[in-house]
Amino acid sequence: MHPGDALALIGPNGAGKSTLLSILAGALDPSDGSVAASVNHRGPKVGWVPQKPAHYQRLSPRENLELFARLEGVSETKEVADRYIGLLDLPDDGRLTAELSAGNQQRLNVAVALLAGPEVLLLDEPTASLDPRQRRLLWQVATQVRERQGAVVFATQNLEELERFATRVAVLVGGELVFDGSLEQFKAAPEADVFA
Amino acid sequence: MTKTRLLLRKDLRILSRSPVLVAALIVYPLVFAALVGAVVRYAGDRPTIAFVDLDHLPEQLTVGGQTFNVPEVLAQVNENAELVPMDQEEADRKLANGEVNAEIIVPRGFASRLRGMVESPQLELKTARGGIASRVEQQTQALVYELNQRLQDAYIDANLQYVNLIVEGGTGTFLGNEFDVVGLQRAGELLAEIEQTTKDPAIAEQARELSTFVRQAQLALGASDKSLRATANPIKLEVDTEAGRSWLLSAQLQAYALALTLAFICVLLAAAAIASERDENVIGRLARGLVGLTNLVVVKVALAALVAVVLGLVIALVFGALVTVFDVTGGEPWERLPLLGFGLVIAGAAFGAFGVLVGVVAREARTAVLVAFLVALPLVLLGLLPDGTVQAAHVISKAFPFSHAVDFFQSSLYDNDPWSTLAREAAWLAGLAVAFGAAARLGMRRLLA
Repeated sequence: MHPGDALALIGPNGAGKSTLLSILAGALDPSDGSVAASVNHRGPKVGWVPQKPAHYQRLSPRENLELFARLEGVSETKEVADRYIGLLDLPDDGRLTAELSAGNQQRLNVAVALLAGPEVLLLDEPTASLDPRQRRLLWQVATQVRERQGAVVFATQNLEELERFATRVAVLVGGELVFDGSLEQFKAAPEADVFA
Repeated sequence: MTKTRLLLRKDLRILSRSPVLVAALIVYPLVFAALVGAVVRYAGDRPTIAFVDLDHLPEQLTVGGQTFNVPEVLAQVNENAELVPMDQEEADRKLANGEVNAEIIVPRGFASRLRGMVESPQLELKTARGGIASRVEQQTQALVYELNQRLQDAYIDANLQYVNLIVEGGTGTFLGNEFDVVGLQRAGELLAEIEQTTKDPAIAEQARELSTFVRQAQLALGASDKSLRATANPIKLEVDTEAGRSWLLSAQLQAYALALTLAFICVLLAAAAIASERDENVIGRLARGLVGLTNLVVVKVALAALVAVVLGLVIALVFGALVTVFDVTGGEPWERLPLLGFGLVIAGAAFGAFGVLVGVVAREARTAVLVAFLVALPLVLLGLLPDGTVQAAHVISKAFPFSHAVDFFQSSLYDNDPWSTLAREAAWLAGLAVAFGAAARLGMRRLLA
């Protein structure tokens, strides 16, 4: 991966996309091999948006954001929470996260991943529960990461999003990498389209 | 603020948002403690009776020619009640605070009165009010009845010797003095001689009258064997039922209430808290460098310990307030609360570590709560079985914090010299906390899968 890359991971259900993203995030240890990542001779800041929302249901969105900001070592937690509540249009009326819609929960999921200003953003089917406006908002945020010379890795089942956003495509089937190339190479290789 | 404290604060905030759950977690163990306490004290347990020997009874006690082995007699009593020798001051204190159910006092001069066989020596029984008091009284009455039966034979044999001496004459001893007795038989012979040899008709008449009395006395005393053997209960029992506190406020019930509350709340809470991190999909986010898995175990153990000390002190304060308001015998040892607080922390940590282990094994919060309850319940009941009843149960319960917590709490509140018990039980609880915590940490990766 290089600065500005947007790698799309595609593959049928159970191909290992989420597992690979969990390994890249550092949440799971690889059973074999290793993950090497370096930005200016240090490990990159990684933001991870898991497929299922990963935050506390009995805290409000603000409480979640402030808690994870503190855990990330962010100094001005209130300001950071304000920023992402505004950026992702999150409710800030004290309701518990459990009471929010699936779309709002997913946006909070994304906001938590952005708290530390990630250089690598890992998105696991991030738009599954979002309406079209929220999808556009999400891809805007991901584009901002790329524009800051960051990289984005996203798992998707949506070829339209893949064509619009990816610069590179990796195809996984049964835990094996069966294709790895540019978007143009992917388009020219009909055998790589596992959904066809 | 450290990450551990951040997560701990988060857990407490989440807990405070479930007041119904918190109330249920508090009320349920207390009700359960009262029920179990009642069952244990009424049925399962042998009553603990303080045995105060002010007379310093010898090992061998000879009464009327029969020798009693005192330790052997006490061992027979131990089958039905646990007789614990102690001095009067300690016995009074333990009865007052409910650590013993009753107090049997052997007063000074008991053995000499028994040997003298002139008057019935008295044992003194003190019991608490209500609850088990009547059962203890029954046990003690049974003991005295048993002793009386054994003493009865000795008494009768000895008394019959005196009767025979009166009837047949000879040399006897009484209260250590030796004396010669003519005997009714010889007296009758002497009166017959006087009657035959006297020339004074008045004296002859008096001798005849005396002879008649001697014959009647001989007849009456001839039946004394049967009448003496019908004599029972040479020992009288004096009962004072106002000497101790009600069992509802006893030391044992306080210790059970505290340990039961902690056993359920801490195990269920820690199990649910750790499994919830996985249910909410957060554990992966935390484990990727934000919070170490060891820290996560420590947070849940600390949560359990914190909840334990708060709830435990509230329960202790309620008990103490009741004891103070109603001026209950023995009073409440307020100065011991810090010691109790220390015990609550380590007991809470030990229960919490066990709960985390359960949560790690169960993985899912609802399953974890159910498994925690199903596992904790029998382990608690094992801890309630009296020592020596089922050896295997005793060994298994030692590997669970409950029995150690009970002993710690009871000793910290009411023992005169609690330090050796506290050190032993604290070491057990700390060891169990470390062992369960380490096992839980080993299994934490299961939650990430």
